[in-house]
Amino acid sequence: MTAPLLPPSVPDLGGLRLPDAAACAVTVARLQGAREPRVVVVGNPNVGKTTLINAVAGTRLKVGNWSGVTVEKREAHLSHAGRRVHLLDLPGAYSLSPHTPEELIARTALMDEAPDAVMNVLDAGNLERNLYLTLQLMDFGLPVAVALNLVDEARDKGLTVDAPALSRALGVPVIETVASRSVGTADLMSGVLDRATLGVAVRYPAAIEEAAQDLTSCMSGLSTLPPHAHRYLALALLEGDPSVRGRLAATGHQPLLEAADAHLAALEARGLDPLIEIAEARYARAGDLARVAVPQAQARRTFSERLDRLTLHPLLGIPLFLGLVLLVFRLTFSVASPFVDLIGGPLQDILSGWASAGLAWFPLARDLVVGAIIPGVGTVLSFLPTLLVLYLAMSFLEDSGYMARAAFLMDRAMRSVGLDGRAFIPLILGFGCNVPAVYATRTLERRSDRVLVSMILPFMSCSARLPVYVVFAAALFPRSGSWLVWGLYVLGMAVAFLFALVLRRTSLPAEGGGVLLELPPYRFPAWRVLWKHAWRRTASFARRARTTVMGTVAVVWLLLALPAVSGQRFATVPPQQSLFGVVSQAVSPIFAPLGFGNWQATGALVPGFIAKEVVVGTLGQIYLGEQAAAPAPLGLVAGITQTLGAAWDAVKASVSALPTVLALPSLSAGPSADTQTPLAAALARAFTPASGLAYLVFVLLYTPCIATVGAMAQEHGRRVAWVTVAYQLATAWVVGLIVYQIASRVL
Amino acid sequence: MEERTLDQLNPGDAAHVVSLDPRHPLRRRLLELGFVRGAPVTVVRRAPMGDPLELRVNGTDLALRLADLRGIRVRR
Repeated sequence: MTAPLLPPSVPDLGGLRLPDAAACAVTVARLQGAREPRVVVVGNPNVGKTTLINAVAGTRLKVGNWSGVTVEKREAHLSHAGRRVHLLDLPGAYSLSPHTPEELIARTALMDEAPDAVMNVLDAGNLERNLYLTLQLMDFGLPVAVALNLVDEARDKGLTVDAPALSRALGVPVIETVASRSVGTADLMSGVLDRATLGVAVRYPAAIEEAAQDLTSCMSGLSTLPPHAHRYLALALLEGDPSVRGRLAATGHQPLLEAADAHLAALEARGLDPLIEIAEARYARAGDLARVAVPQAQARRTFSERLDRLTLHPLLGIPLFLGLVLLVFRLTFSVASPFVDLIGGPLQDILSGWASAGLAWFPLARDLVVGAIIPGVGTVLSFLPTLLVLYLAMSFLEDSGYMARAAFLMDRAMRSVGLDGRAFIPLILGFGCNVPAVYATRTLERRSDRVLVSMILPFMSCSARLPVYVVFAAALFPRSGSWLVWGLYVLGMAVAFLFALVLRRTSLPAEGGGVLLELPPYRFPAWRVLWKHAWRRTASFARRARTTVMGTVAVVWLLLALPAVSGQRFATVPPQQSLFGVVSQAVSPIFAPLGFGNWQATGALVPGFIAKEVVVGTLGQIYLGEQAAAPAPLGLVAGITQTLGAAWDAVKASVSALPTVLALPSLSAGPSADTQTPLAAALARAFTPASGLAYLVFVLLYTPCIATVGAMAQEHGRRVAWVTVAYQLATAWVVGLIVYQIASRVL
Repeated sequence: MEERTLDQLNPGDAAHVVSLDPRHPLRRRLLELGFVRGAPVTVVRRAPMGDPLELRVNGTDLALRLADLRGIRVRR
């Protein structure tokens, strides 16, 4: 093993050249060029890796999921200077000793997929920590090229970055990039394809090196372990990496594990802890390299530090955070609701009108289209504007670095229910819509936390439940409406936190292991990346929810259309005599102890499973006998004109709502003067205040809507989803019972 | 030089890492993030509710709970 040849200007940093055989093999494979070379992109979180890969791959970037896990997989097949290349972005990782699902994926891909080259993305402003991962990569026998990203930010910090010097010291090409402005991306691709090479590995203390060499020689006879990973595996064994041990044990490498144990015992007898020795050696070298690459560092107070003095202020920090959340919801309501109304109102009416006219001779088909298909599609579509706006806001807060601050602010509060600060974000998103909140649990590290938060977040009262509260408040509590609504929100949160405690103590204990948050520097997110994220998440919801939601809508329609009494015809039967009405009637005694044991109230709960706001519509249908007013069929031209007109009105309403977002929120979520509708009057007759209250509590708690259930099934499996539905129904019944029994004596 | 654990430091204090408790639940992760012997650590601020603390190590800002800071010995 020869010492690296370094120009005299660069100090010999004591690095280690790996044998060239592996590099030659890779180079030959690459240059033979029969297949397209496969390049993996590796880097710490928050180094602008996603932005960089977007800048390189542009529209060719395909986003999916890694099989079996809910981690985004980004890849692209592209051509650079006439050559094809397959770019695969690995999830952000601080290290290749995995602590998170993301890091496990990154490590597994490096080990098993034997990429032709590795593109390692570094944050130029934070080299020392970023180089830790680079030095781990050097223990893999894979050709590496480094993208020194965010050099603009580093220079703003007052750092002088010397990429050529870093390149000489690391022994691999280093290319400066500013991903957000696509600076250096072409050079980077050429560097990766033409010059990626094995780098200078860390030289560990002699005792560690000897043990590692011995272990690699044990591996050399094994065809089961990829040769390029031998040195890395040997070191991981000495570090006691549990995932590597587990994997080798599962694949029948017991002799290797025994050899590692013998070495560990021998090292321990000499007073050495390999985990610490290896980390110290890597950091010593990372420090040396950083001093070579950033010869002059004059500390300058950065924008992030100044902003943090405000956002993390001891007194203002939390109010500011809550204000920001309020702003996001107001934005969602005011910008998205005109489009929600458009989809649920004029658009659906006009389409139904056309369908009724067009299918006039086929009553059954007409009823199916008008009664099930159009409302089903409409329900899915009406979720989309809300989701898109929420996802945009969420991605903005996440990519800007603010979400980590929110977790820092709220950690202490969340600790008292056995969670950490990061769990607060999905919960608060739940107030907007439970669906994105379920997907937001991905930001949590541990699976038990993800499942636990998903199971309690449907208790957070989403915006779709508000119309139900408002109608009842108008009917039964005209004076104290806003207090009632406020109380329901608080009750939902209280029940959620109570169950967090219960679930922690029983079925989902904390996996232990401390809490560590990184507070990355603030960055202004690239709009293109934000839009792509938000759009992709929304579209994926539409694709996946389509089947579940439409299926459920069709079943409810069928139940309402099937007569349960002789003498009634299919699809024209009044609700009470339909299968739906008869079943509701049969089920309703269950709710007698809660004060609303009649078929009307019970029946209206069923469509709430599809979407909570539908409860109001169904109550109207049942109590007022409102038929789904057969909309007047319009001519084709008239229909299109009217649709476009309504769409334009929605755009106008949405834009003109923007300034009001910043206005002070009015707390009067309660009824306005014109809400004493016929429905409110009917409800005032049908419910007592106590039974109305119990009904609202039940609506608050009873079941996540089908879209949320779908999201939960997708993220955590069907079992979690259905267990959640079941336990929430039980909770809603019990809490509803308590509320009714108390309220009926007090009110 | 007095030796103490990190949770006893106040915002603005700087210190050098001496050792990590071998049973620390975050030991590996902390080593990877640069809590190695001799590394300089600064306490930046306390969260509004008193816990966790924001620390700067290796140019990175991290937040750790007091309970997890008890296992990190430092020297001023």
